Amino acid sequence: MKKIINICLFVSVLVATGCSKFLDRPLEDQAPPTVIDYTNLTTMYSPVSGMYRAAGGENPGFSHWVDLGIRTVRGDDVAKGSSPGDQGTLTDIKNFQNENPGVVSFWGNGNYWNDHFGLVLYINEALADLDRYAANIPAGDAANMALNNQYKSELRVVRAWAHMLVSRVFGDVPIVIDNNTITTIPKSTTTEIRQWIIREMDTAANFLEDARPNQASHVGAVTKYTALLIKAKAAADIAGNDNGSPYWDTVIQATDEIINSGKFSLYPDFYQLFKIPGKLSNEALYELQYSDFGTSTGTSVTPGAFFDFQGPNNNEPPVAGWGFLSPTAEIENFFQSRNDSVRLKTTILYAGATPTTFATTPSGDQIRGNANGQTRFMGKAYLPKNQMTPGRTGYGSNNNVRVLRFADVLLLNAEAKVRKGQNGDIPFNAVRTRAKLNPITGVSLQQVLDERRAEFACEWWGERYNDLIRTGQAATVLAPNGFAPGKEYVPIPQSQRDLNPNL
Amino acid sequence: MKKNGILLNFGRDPLLQKLARVMKLSFAIILISCLHVSAGGFSQSRISVDFQSIQLKKALSFIEKKSNFRFLYNEDLVINAPPITLTMSNAEVTEILSRLFDRSGLTYQIMANNLVVLKNGGAKRADIQVSGKVMSATGEGIASVNVLVKGTTTGTATDTSGNYTIMAPENGTLVFSSVGFKTQEIPINNRTTIDVVMEQSDESLQQVVVIGYGTSNRRDLTGSIGVVNPEDLNKRMAANPMTALQGNAPGVQVVTSNQPGGSPTVRIRGVGSFNNTSPLFVVDGMFVDNIDFLNPNDIGEMSILKDASAAAIYGVRAANGVVIITTKKGRYNMKTRVTYNGYVGVQKPTGNFDMANGSQYAAMQLAKGIPADSSKVTTSVARFGGSGLNPTTNTDWYDELLKDNALMHSNSIDLSGGGSTVNYTVGLNYFYQDGILEAENNYKRYNIRLQLEAKPYEFLKLGLTALYTNSTQRNPNRDAFTRAYTASPLYPVFDETNPVTFPKKYTSSGTLGYNNNIFNNPVAVADYWFDRTKGFQVLPTIYAEADLIKNKLSFRSQLSQRYGSSLNQNFLPAYFIDNNQNSRTTVLTTTEDRTENYILDNLLTYRDSRGDHHWTFLLGQSVREERYRSTQVITDSVPTQEEFWYADQGIRRTDGYNEAGYRNASASFFGRLSYDFAGKYLLTATFRADGSSKYQEKWGYFPSIGLGWVISDEKFMDNQKIFDMLKIRGSWGKLGNDGINPNPGYPEVKTGNEFSGIFGSTGGTNGTLITGYRIDPIYGTIGWEEVVEWDGGIDFTMLNRRLKGSVDYYHRQTRDLVFERNVPFTGLRKIGNWGRVNNSGVEVQLNWADKIGKLGYEIGGNLSTLKNEVVDLQGLNNLPSGITEFPTRTSVGQPFNYFYGYEVEGIYQTQEEVNADPIAVANGVQPGFFKYKDQNGDKLLDEQDRVNLGSYLPKVYYGINLGVNYNNFDLSIFFQGLGGNKILNINRGLRQKFPDMNGDEEFVTSLWTGPGSTNEFPSAFATTQTWNNNASSFYVENGSYLRLQNVQIGYNFKLGNQDNSASFRVYATADRPLIWSRYSGITPEVTSPGRLPKDRPAVAERVQATQVSSYGYDQNVYPTTAVYTIGVRITY
Repeated sequence: MKKIINICLFVSVLVATGCSKFLDRPLEDQAPPTVIDYTNLTTMYSPVSGMYRAAGGENPGFSHWVDLGIRTVRGDDVAKGSSPGDQGTLTDIKNFQNENPGVVSFWGNGNYWNDHFGLVLYINEALADLDRYAANIPAGDAANMALNNQYKSELRVVRAWAHMLVSRVFGDVPIVIDNNTITTIPKSTTTEIRQWIIREMDTAANFLEDARPNQASHVGAVTKYTALLIKAKAAADIAGNDNGSPYWDTVIQATDEIINSGKFSLYPDFYQLFKIPGKLSNEALYELQYSDFGTSTGTSVTPGAFFDFQGPNNNEPPVAGWGFLSPTAEIENFFQSRNDSVRLKTTILYAGATPTTFATTPSGDQIRGNANGQTRFMGKAYLPKNQMTPGRTGYGSNNNVRVLRFADVLLLNAEAKVRKGQNGDIPFNAVRTRAKLNPITGVSLQQVLDERRAEFACEWWGERYNDLIRTGQAATVLAPNGFAPGKEYVPIPQSQRDLNPNL
Repeated sequence: MKKNGILLNFGRDPLLQKLARVMKLSFAIILISCLHVSAGGFSQSRISVDFQSIQLKKALSFIEKKSNFRFLYNEDLVINAPPITLTMSNAEVTEILSRLFDRSGLTYQIMANNLVVLKNGGAKRADIQVSGKVMSATGEGIASVNVLVKGTTTGTATDTSGNYTIMAPENGTLVFSSVGFKTQEIPINNRTTIDVVMEQSDESLQQVVVIGYGTSNRRDLTGSIGVVNPEDLNKRMAANPMTALQGNAPGVQVVTSNQPGGSPTVRIRGVGSFNNTSPLFVVDGMFVDNIDFLNPNDIGEMSILKDASAAAIYGVRAANGVVIITTKKGRYNMKTRVTYNGYVGVQKPTGNFDMANGSQYAAMQLAKGIPADSSKVTTSVARFGGSGLNPTTNTDWYDELLKDNALMHSNSIDLSGGGSTVNYTVGLNYFYQDGILEAENNYKRYNIRLQLEAKPYEFLKLGLTALYTNSTQRNPNRDAFTRAYTASPLYPVFDETNPVTFPKKYTSSGTLGYNNNIFNNPVAVADYWFDRTKGFQVLPTIYAEADLIKNKLSFRSQLSQRYGSSLNQNFLPAYFIDNNQNSRTTVLTTTEDRTENYILDNLLTYRDSRGDHHWTFLLGQSVREERYRSTQVITDSVPTQEEFWYADQGIRRTDGYNEAGYRNASASFFGRLSYDFAGKYLLTATFRADGSSKYQEKWGYFPSIGLGWVISDEKFMDNQKIFDMLKIRGSWGKLGNDGINPNPGYPEVKTGNEFSGIFGSTGGTNGTLITGYRIDPIYGTIGWEEVVEWDGGIDFTMLNRRLKGSVDYYHRQTRDLVFERNVPFTGLRKIGNWGRVNNSGVEVQLNWADKIGKLGYEIGGNLSTLKNEVVDLQGLNNLPSGITEFPTRTSVGQPFNYFYGYEVEGIYQTQEEVNADPIAVANGVQPGFFKYKDQNGDKLLDEQDRVNLGSYLPKVYYGINLGVNYNNFDLSIFFQGLGGNKILNINRGLRQKFPDMNGDEEFVTSLWTGPGSTNEFPSAFATTQTWNNNASSFYVENGSYLRLQNVQIGYNFKLGNQDNSASFRVYATADRPLIWSRYSGITPEVTSPGRLPKDRPAVAERVQATQVSSYGYDQNVYPTTAVYTIGVRITY
């Protein structure tokens, strides 16, 4: 009996003393707390590198397929492909049914919002981390301080671009630079956002590398010139169709600086510019970089379903996809009417008329038709089979996603000059002759805008739609689709307004 | 039955008698078909007499004839004896003799060979002292049992520990009686020590009920505890005891999973969490998540602790209620008992499987007026036969997928017994259930149960129980059920002419131009699939219990463990049907997991009384640890034979290996005081402190108090005749829910290649990764959820014990509700304790039982209501969840996860109607489209017009049982149902994504065709338009049903007329034969399909909170079956 009481006591003592250790061990299989050594300045680029990877991702990031759909379908160059009911809301968005309940509650809108702003939140964390590194840089270590500022500026360029893309779809949105204010932060107007972008880019340009991205110390990172182009685009958006706007001077000044640096040139073969040979060429100001690292198996980093979404359906991998987007008949006719054959073959990937007939691409791949009768697919997303790393079967794998390129600089420069009554022929014809078209002297504003339409047709950032809005031409060009002033932007998702009443 | 059986008389040697019984049982089983063969008594020592004032001599001669007793006596003694009047039926001869001679002044002595010698009674024999202990079935002493020498007024009562001492004639009989127990008569037969085990009487109020860490008399309970009669469970033919409980217990909602081996969803008193809502199961002291492993036959006692007073002793685990189960135990001094229970039956699919046939589907396709749709019809005609627009192909995919019937059987054998210092049980069960899907899917389970308890010393008990389970489950590919709903009937199962398909010639849906992954060949979906989980589990428990102060203070220490492991193999063969349905290589996914849990409990119980004050004090301490680890390997190109299914026999995927696991530890201290004054005023107070390793805040404290008043014991109730028992009770307490994934509470830094940027990926170089990391901008901290519950109840027995019942009202509030809150600007969510939800309702249980002559009948029912209401979300407007296109949301003032969307008012019938409605004009609506209700009347259809369309939670659920018995026959009928819940018919809703799909016959044949044709269904063209595929009330249907759950007819008989003769029960049962429901889908009983092991995420999941609740969505639901069985139970 006594023994039992003793055992009792022993157990209670054991429990009482063992308790703290017993309950206080770390949780198993949960990410351990990572200690970042902010005094080790050699790792200072890590948060920046992590941000580039995030920017190339889907959730968050710039490459989600549905975001691509929402950005592009509102222009007159891209229609929703596939079968009519498949993500049919994209058609409703194309038709400017902004009040259509399907559009209002469309999951893709929330996805777009979160992908872009989510990236912004990560960038804000990374900026805070760079401040922690900065606090450990010894006084007088100007080299590391300059690097710290350069890295922060890279983050700010991408953050500005994210705001630009989200504003292109939703119009007035908040400028999110402080993660602690997200539940209350109010909206800024589209103009305020672009003014902020210009200020941000001005600051960043001071610290960024004076290099072409493919010459940057981290090859492909954004540089001073990326900032300048984003600044120019923001200024052009504010200036709108007002030739008297002082922002056109801003455009000229920023684009001149890029052109005059002499670092950039157009990639001579427009068709190959979007294929493997054109990756991160001297024309690139920003690309989302991916790679299969030249190996047939193992890790291949891709932009999710970005390419599959655009690939021709009812075909055999690797040249196959969901066929969700289709260049419109309008853009096809436009190319044909101006004999723009290089851009036509680059922009439109033709398929056979029926599920059993084929069309052959300039690179020799056969593209079968489909039950939906869709014959046009997104050509700039097309990657020929013979350019792929042997063993890989993912459509577009190993290709980068082109974001900003020198042609944009040249055409903005030409446009601003024409609008200011200057001659824009030189930059204009540089772009035009690359597409094997005859140069024009004394180019007009509409000719510049047409050239922009042709040059950027079916690219992934909604350039055509933005130009139509910016120049006020949307009201006429897009009227057949149901556009009317006031319908420029997709409604901010109700779910976001529920979370922040100021939206 | 004849008394002289075919068996030999083995006399009184106990060993031989036992042997004889065993032999008889064997005979009995062998000769089961020859029912009139007697397996009569081993000794003709029991006879019936009915002497009405006859001479003693005549009486003796009658006994000589009827028994093998012979009398030797002097004639003179008998002649002068007074006449005899005595009636006894089926009584021991010795007893008859004792009564006979008690009054005659004669004494007798039984010599060898049952020779009875009569003597003159001048010398009356002296009484002997008999003592012993009266115990309950669990071996505990019972106080205040009356002990009476039969036929006299000599009597005594047992003391608090059940001991008694009495002077009685050596050939006398002792009568033991006590309220709540069956009265027993035991002949002394010269023994001086007689221990008695009392059996409980049917009077349920005195029933001993298992409560947390102990037992209690039902009468003394202050909490709301559902006591399950294991017999009721055995009436239902189900693998799972909880399935068998469906509809039986008020406050307990069970949603059956019909898949073989499927685990039912169990909810006690509503849903108070976004996380774990399953009750805690305590099996022989071990905590388990479910009792899928348990054979219903193994359950000895089962209690459902519903309110805080009952459950709070389980502290942080108790918030969803507690189900306590003790498996069957042997008893001391119990004769060996063998029970066999077996049944065999067939399952038949039940439900609405009527899909549109070929011509109905073709008509809808053509009516759409879209070339791509009508081309499917013409292609079918061209490819598979027909003429013009009339294809002859008509594939009924459900018919192809479902078997007409599937086998199910169960065999259990159970052996238990006990001597004075040891008792034991051994149980064996084999259960098999085939699935009704036409592919390999079934469930097999072996159970072994061992229990042993020994009393090496009077004060010490040592015991062991071990439950061993071995199961094999073949999981079907449930996608096949959705595919069968959506697939077009216009192509056949097989197409021998297709050259590219292999290994079997399944038709590709692409043949007709369907190019969407959902229109696969459903039969191939089911066929090209192998998924098997083999698992075993051992639940060993050892304990020691010592009486430190006899019958007052005891100490018990128990170590309970759970060891389990399972191996899941998912194998997909290499096959090709088309680009959407193929597997280029074989793929093997192997998932192994391992569970090691233990609980160490130390309990000190002090029980005492002073006058009318009685109390029991429990003090306990417990330590528990749960460890789980799971490993998964994915391999391509393994050979098809099962023997080669190993990772190194194929090509292991580079990202195809992952591991996940957890360890949770907790330490607890708890106590309970149960006090009553004169059995009238009852008090139960409990307290538990739980420390957990899961959260940043370690300790939680959970008190409860319960009060009861047995009104019927009051003086003023003495003269009323209505109530036999009336008790009111009330309770309050706090409970916890720690069924929430642990959370580290710091921002995660994501590192590694996945979070590193690529630089230098140019036209000429491959690019390299530069080390990067990413810091999660959003993180939260959490603690357990807390429930505060009130309960008030009445228990009563009235009208001469014919009507019994109880009524409870409960109100439980979950505070600190854990969920992940959406954060603006990001898809990331922030976890925290963010809200409160109330569950309240009434539970009523009534049972009327009576007899009319030999006809016994019973009618009863139970009904529970549930009101689930979220009362606080800390400012969050709403919490969206569910399936994106058909969402649910949670918001203040509404129930959990209600379906959310537009209310359909009807169909626009004419163009004039469209033109008159600005909403229709703005959205390009045409006649034949849905007309949504403009809730706020602003002539704009927007987010503000979306409303609560109903919840998956029933507002009421109930069970009704009817029973009759007549002689040896009995019949029971049981209905079960629920109401007020909604089902979102995702099968119909899939049309949003796949406008080409088939549909149920009602939908396809009722489409709008012109003004006035229908105001319920859209036009064929409208089905292809996004406007009509918004989440709306059209897809949310009434989920109420009433089901005939169980009918059983049984016949009981005995072989032989001895008490210990083998008794038989043969029965026939129909489970779920009929259902009444207005739901258009296959079955209104929709469980969310559990995730298969193969679908575990490749990276250890850090996603918290099962916020995306799939409850109430009808998707891939395994069809319900009706089961028809016959069975037999033999107890010996």
